[in-house]
Amino acid sequence: MTIVSDAMDEPKPETGIRLTEQQLRARRSRSIAIALALGAFVVVIFVVTLVKLGANVLTRPM
Amino acid sequence: MSVTLARIEPSIADVGDYVALLKPRVMSLVVFTALVGLLIAPGHLHPVIALTALLCIAVGAGAAGALNMWYDADIDARMLRTAGRPIPQGRVTPGEAAGFGLTLAVFAVVTLALLVNWVAASLLAFTIAFYVVIYTMWLKRSTPQNIVIGGAAGALPPIIGWAAVTGGIAVEPIVLFLIIFFWTPPHFWALSLYRTEDYARAGIPMLPVVAGEAETRRQILLYTLILAPLGVAPWLLGYAGPFYGIAAIATGAAMIALALRVRAERQGHVASKQMFGFSILYLFLLFAVLLADRLWGGLAAQAVNLFAA
Repeated sequence: MTIVSDAMDEPKPETGIRLTEQQLRARRSRSIAIALALGAFVVVIFVVTLVKLGANVLTRPM
Repeated sequence: MSVTLARIEPSIADVGDYVALLKPRVMSLVVFTALVGLLIAPGHLHPVIALTALLCIAVGAGAAGALNMWYDADIDARMLRTAGRPIPQGRVTPGEAAGFGLTLAVFAVVTLALLVNWVAASLLAFTIAFYVVIYTMWLKRSTPQNIVIGGAAGALPPIIGWAAVTGGIAVEPIVLFLIIFFWTPPHFWALSLYRTEDYARAGIPMLPVVAGEAETRRQILLYTLILAPLGVAPWLLGYAGPFYGIAAIATGAAMIALALRVRAERQGHVASKQMFGFSILYLFLLFAVLLADRLWGGLAAQAVNLFAA
């Protein structure tokens, strides 16, 4: 039992890709840019909807 | 059977690399000429819708630039002028550029269609397809007429701007299209005259590479002789005032004078460098003056009347 739990506690060897500092920085800047672009897209759709519908935006069919 | 898996390195591309893929300088000229088409069009477009149209045209132009860099990565790497672009530098993979370009192209066209109108969106889609498929994939590597025919893509933005307002096409934006269309060959051939080795190394059949310098200088003059009167056409056709007419005649005469100097030049490329530099200023001035003329149209005419009285 002790032997098994010791084996489980051992840190597993790293598998997969480890990002370098430069890669992490680049990924973060890309993520922020994508978030800003998506946010801008949402704002464009929202404002254009208001412009196109005008006061009718409040009209709801009963 | 063995399967070789390509090792995929995590991307090191930052935002600046993706911005570079959009060819910001080309984009700014596209936005400017589209803005002129949009502002000289009759009718009214809500400023928010007009800004949305310009944004879509800008993103569409950027998408075309990214797709061009994806397809041309091999020849970009062999040319000094383009070797520093993100794909030849290994900062962006061709696949990333293709995905980026396609995504932006679809977003730009669909957004323009849904928020502005279908005519402008169809024209934008046609422009992107023409630039990427007809120019980049086909003409650029196969004929010295590449930039002549391919120039149509760069000439379309004023028509898209006009269509965003009116939902149609008319003579006025077609004249602007023709001005850019006939401006493109002398502009690029002046550049290619002093970059001949670069183009030859990349295997691009630019006119000086295929037909020689003398023929290129002759063609620059011929196209400039067509371009200069076309530049004056908006005034002659009555949709630009005398202020524009005077500016177009003066700058057109300067273009012809430079083209004559390029034609006469036997050694060195001083005149062709001047021609390349001035051609950018020429197109910018024509459109800027046309814009000012239309926005404050009354003012110029009134000033002339004042002097005449």
